[in-house]
Amino acid sequence: MTSPPTPDSVAEGGHRPLGGIARALSAKAYRFLRALAGTRYGLPGLIIISALALIALAAPWLAPYNPLRQVDTSAAPSSWQHPMGTDNIGRDLLSLVIYGTRASLAIGFCTALAALFVGGLVGITAGYWRGATEAVLMRLAELFQTLPVIIVALFAIGLFGASFWLLVGTVALAIWPLEARLIFGQFVSLREREFVAAAIVADLPYRHIILREILPNALPPIIVQVALDASLAILIESGLGFLGLSDPNMISWGQLLFTAQDFLSTAWWMSVFPGLAICIAVIGLNLLADGLNELANPRAAQASPGLVL
Amino acid sequence: MFRFAINRIAQAIPLMILVVLLVFTMLQFTPGDPVQAMVGQYPVPHEFRAAIEKRYHLNDPLPSRLIQYFGNLLHGDVGYSFQLQRPVLDLVLERAPRTLLLAGAGFLIGVPLGIAIGVVSATTSRRSVDRLWTTATLIAYAIPGFWLGQLLVIIFAMHLGWLPTQGMGPLISRTTGFAWLLERARYLALPAATYAIYEATRAAKLMRASVVETLGQGYIITAKAKGLSRRAIIWRHVLRNSSLPVVTVMGYAFGVAMGGAVLIETVFSWPGIGLLLIDAIRARDNQTIVGVVLFISFAVIVMNLIVDLLYCALDPRIRMGK
Repeated sequence: MTSPPTPDSVAEGGHRPLGGIARALSAKAYRFLRALAGTRYGLPGLIIISALALIALAAPWLAPYNPLRQVDTSAAPSSWQHPMGTDNIGRDLLSLVIYGTRASLAIGFCTALAALFVGGLVGITAGYWRGATEAVLMRLAELFQTLPVIIVALFAIGLFGASFWLLVGTVALAIWPLEARLIFGQFVSLREREFVAAAIVADLPYRHIILREILPNALPPIIVQVALDASLAILIESGLGFLGLSDPNMISWGQLLFTAQDFLSTAWWMSVFPGLAICIAVIGLNLLADGLNELANPRAAQASPGLVL
Repeated sequence: MFRFAINRIAQAIPLMILVVLLVFTMLQFTPGDPVQAMVGQYPVPHEFRAAIEKRYHLNDPLPSRLIQYFGNLLHGDVGYSFQLQRPVLDLVLERAPRTLLLAGAGFLIGVPLGIAIGVVSATTSRRSVDRLWTTATLIAYAIPGFWLGQLLVIIFAMHLGWLPTQGMGPLISRTTGFAWLLERARYLALPAATYAIYEATRAAKLMRASVVETLGQGYIITAKAKGLSRRAIIWRHVLRNSSLPVVTVMGYAFGVAMGGAVLIETVFSWPGIGLLLIDAIRARDNQTIVGVVLFISFAVIVMNLIVDLLYCALDPRIRMGK
C-alpha cells in the first residue's frame, strides 16, 4: 500500500533516507505526544496507558511470584508478602493481576486494530463508491449494530469456541460497525470537497485519491474511535472472561473475576483488585480518547457547557 | 404519522430477515458435523441421525434448506433443546417475564435518577458540583456492570448481611400475600440496584449533554427575558425538551435489556434470558443458543420500532419531516 521506493533511495542502499524518515517520524511522534499531553485529559490518559504498557512488558520482572504456582495458603488476605492476598488455590493475586495486564492490553490493542481494518475497508468502499455497494455494506453494519455487542460475541464464541485469536476476531466482529459508520461518514463528506474533485479531474488513480487525499484528512476522529474501541474490547473480554468463556490458556482480569464469583464471601480481594485493574485501564483509554478528541476538533472541546442559568 | 409508521415497519422486516440469514450463515460455518452440532455433546444414534437429516433436509441444496428454515421459524419452531428436552420457544417464553421484571425495575429507578443527575450537573452554577458528577460518571462508565454487582454482593449481602446474594426467591417459601411480595423485593433489590446504577450513569451522561444543548436555544433566552424563575425554566422548558432524546436512547437500551443483561443475571443467578443463553453455551446446546439469539435480535428490532413510533407520536417535527 505504501508508495514504491524511489530509484535514488534504492541506489544509496536506503541508509540515509531511511534514517531521515525515522528521524522525521520520531520528531512528528514527539510533537504529537507533546500536543496530546497538553490537552486537558490527554496527559493522565497517556500516563495511565504507558504505565500499564510498561507493566505488561516487564511482567516477569515486576511480578513477585510465579503467577501459576501455589505460594502460600489459599485465600490469604493481603499482607506484606502478598499485597493483594492470594486466590482460592494459593496463587499470589498481585502477580496474577500484573500478568493479566498482558492479556487485556493485547486483546484491546489487537481488537481495535482488527476492527479498524475491517471497519475501514467497509467504510472506505461504501463511502467512496456509494450506490449499491453502500446500500449493501451499510445495511450489514446497521444489522450488526442492532444486535447487542455482547450477544454477537457470545453467539460466535458459543458456536466456535474461544482462543486468543478467535476472541480478537469475535470482539472485532461485534464492534467493527462503529468504525465502519464513522469512516463512511468521513469519506462521504470529504469526497465532496474541492481537493478531491481536483484529484479526480487530474485523473489520479483511485488508490492514490483514497490513501493520499482522503484518508489523512479523515484520520483524526478515527484515531479517537480506535482508543474507544480498545476500551470497549477490554470491557467485553473481561465480561467473557467473567462468564468463563475466554481463552483458558491465558490469565486475564475477567477470568480472575470468574473464579472470584465463588469466593465472594470468603475472599473479597479476589474480586476487588482485578476489577480495579479493569477500571483503571478503561478510564485510561477513555481519557486518552478525550485528549485525542480535543486534538481532532479543538473547537468542540472549547465549547464548554454554557452554564447560563 | 400513518405513512411514517408504514415506512418504519417496512424497514424492520428486512432487518429481521437479515438477522435470520446471518444466523443461518454462521451456523453453516460451525465446525464439525451439523447433526452433532445440533444435538450438542451427546452421542447420536444412527436412526436419530437419519430422522434429523430428513426432518431438517440436511442433504438438500443450500437454498431449499434456507427456505425450510424460514418456514420453521414462521411456524414458531425455533428449535428443540436436546439438553433440557423442551422446545426452545417454551424456554424463552418462560424466562422472558423474569428478565422483563429485572430490566423494568432497573430502568424505572435508573433512568429518572440519571435524568435528575444530568439536569443538576448541567444547570448548576457551582463548578465543583458539575465537576464532581462529570468525574463520577467517567469512573462509573468504566466500571463493568458485573463487577459492580460483585461489589454490592460483598458489601450488602456478605458484610452487612441485609440482602440475599442470588436467585429470585428462597428454595422453599411459606410466605403469602404482602409478605411474599416483600420477600421477592429483597431478592430483586441488589440486581435491580446494579442495573439502575449502570443505566443511571448512561442516562446522566446523555442528559447532561442534551440539557447543555437546550440551554443554548433561543426560547430559553426568551423565557429568561420574560422573567421566569430558574425553577420554572428548568421544569417547563429545559426538562421537557432535553429529556426526549434521552428517553429515546434509553428506549433502545431497554430493547437490548430485553435480551437479558447476561452478565448481571450471571452474577446474581437471576434465571432470565441471559442466564439461559450462558447455560446453553456452557452445555454446547446449539439449538438453544440460536433460538435465544434470534429472540433477542427480534426483541431489539421490535423495541426500536416501538420507540421510533412513540417518538413520532410525541414529536411533531418528525411527522412533518417525512
